[in-house]
Amino acid sequence: MSSEPAQQETKPLRLFFREAVARAVREEMARDPKVLLMGQDVGSFGGSYREFDGVYGEFGPDRVRDTPVAEPASVGIAAGVAAAGFRPLTVITYMDFLMLGFDALINYAAKLRYKSAGKLTAPMVVKTTAGAQGQGVAHSQCIEAWLISVPGLAVVAPSTPADAYGLMKSALRHDGPVVYMDHKKLFPTPGNLDREEHVVPFGKAAIRQEGTDVTLTCHSYMVRVALQAAEALAEEGISVEVIDLRSLAPLDIDTLVASVEKTGKLLTLEEGQVTCGVGVEVATRIFEAVGYRPWKRLGALPAPVSSNPVLEAECIPDAEQVIESIRVLVRG
Amino acid sequence: MNEAIDNLRAMLLIRAFEDCLAARKDHGFQLLSSGEEAVSVGLASALNEHDQLLTGGRSIGPALARGVKPERLMAELLARTGGVNRGRAGRGHFSDIDAGFFGAHAVVAGNITIAAGVALGRKLENHPGIVAILFGDGASAAGALYETLNIAALWKLPLLFVCNNNQLSVSTAREASNAAENISDIGGVFGMWTKSVDGLDLPAVSETARTAADYVRAGNGPAFIEFSSIRLRSHSTTARETRKRDELAALRLKCPIEREIRRLQDAGLLGQAQTEALRDEATQRAETAMQFADASPYPDPSEVLEHVV
Repeated sequence: MSSEPAQQETKPLRLFFREAVARAVREEMARDPKVLLMGQDVGSFGGSYREFDGVYGEFGPDRVRDTPVAEPASVGIAAGVAAAGFRPLTVITYMDFLMLGFDALINYAAKLRYKSAGKLTAPMVVKTTAGAQGQGVAHSQCIEAWLISVPGLAVVAPSTPADAYGLMKSALRHDGPVVYMDHKKLFPTPGNLDREEHVVPFGKAAIRQEGTDVTLTCHSYMVRVALQAAEALAEEGISVEVIDLRSLAPLDIDTLVASVEKTGKLLTLEEGQVTCGVGVEVATRIFEAVGYRPWKRLGALPAPVSSNPVLEAECIPDAEQVIESIRVLVRG
Repeated sequence: MNEAIDNLRAMLLIRAFEDCLAARKDHGFQLLSSGEEAVSVGLASALNEHDQLLTGGRSIGPALARGVKPERLMAELLARTGGVNRGRAGRGHFSDIDAGFFGAHAVVAGNITIAAGVALGRKLENHPGIVAILFGDGASAAGALYETLNIAALWKLPLLFVCNNNQLSVSTAREASNAAENISDIGGVFGMWTKSVDGLDLPAVSETARTAADYVRAGNGPAFIEFSSIRLRSHSTTARETRKRDELAALRLKCPIEREIRRLQDAGLLGQAQTEALRDEATQRAETAMQFADASPYPDPSEVLEHVV
């Protein structure tokens, strides 16, 4: 507060992930009167993770609507109001519950532009929260891999406050349905944000750390696990290129291909299941372009994610497993 | 008088159109509405140019009643590029918002949530129009209906729930699929204006639909009406008929179109010659629609990736 004003303007903002979400939503709601916010506890409560603090007070009950516990109707109403010209952001508390909203999201919204030959679209964002944090088998899942196979549906997964902000802004401007997934463990994490308004475009991965020995792809909370592993491996002389996918559909194939062409090896990391997982898609798309390369995949074990802390930790990949997998990939 | 003849004309068109379509070997998979024409036409008579109608998969009759052009619809159903959606949507999925037909969404009851969203948009815009959602007795058992009734009532959405109770959900009788005495009773729980009427009686359908639409239009929130109708054909053109021949013969005697013709003739409002002329006109319009469809090309295969994102 005591520093010079000129210096203050150039200094980046330091925000928690949840604050970055709120900032993006507030800016977009101010910018476009068609943007709406709806979902369970998004009103005066400010969101389950306080990620909508202040939004209700600023924009009021017409544009910020608490919904009853009714995910199918919440997603369906969002799809309908989107088709009618609005840009709703509908919030599904846990990604597990998004399964209840699949009909409107997948059968209607994702197909609306196609079936109407371009006349109608459903520009809607479903924001939902994935990941394990001690809440048990139906409150912990990462089902983004199910979603990336749906034609017409965009899927994004920020790992930093800056991307939470920039991807939310892109999502609210996208002319079709978007699933924006965050992670329970990310909300209390801080990060720097450019002071100037900006967006993070879909289909652009971020190289979080450059490296030469192996490419490590990841998204959401697993980016933090990947960076932790990469740091440890650097001490062993293994140089890891960590790529944060950010946008799962569309994927940034160019960045992925360029990295694997350079490193010649690939580890795909995700918190969800490896079977038909994001990693399988990433690897396949890369190998279609450059031919096969040594590849390992890491994800949850093929079991439900228990609230039991011992079983939960065993199920979900950690930095130690990433380190071990990369050692095997690089040293054979 | 003119309105009554126009409504009869609209019912005859639906019957002739569907018969013409069903007679085609290449008609694909269609859900026809013979026996339910009074529901479509009576409901449409209560809607104006500001309103939007959404339906489930049994969408041909309601769309025609709403004013979707028969030529464009026939082309759509037969997968031609002259269709309202270039032939890519088809029977359960087409839309023509310029005609006030926001669209079919053939996931039973899923369409009801979509309609509530369109109604929310109307409310936020202070738009003069209302939204009507037409669904069958089959959808009356689905959870999406109850969630939407609740939210529509809480938010006082300009939404008219219309159940076309044709007594059958594929093969399951209405009594076996919904425990409520009247399906419209479900709306009463949420404080809505409700009514169940004979869906074979066109004047009764029209009057009830108008009363309900006026109620919704006045800003009172949603209303729920039920029309009991009959299904003269099997569930779909590929589904086997589960009813006996004599049962179907008895149902055919209840045809809502013939009933309306008798009523108009008995009242001296319609002559025999005019009746025949109206029947011929409907057949002619259906055949013209078919000629238009036949003259329209299929899409080029390269269109398959257009309008995906």
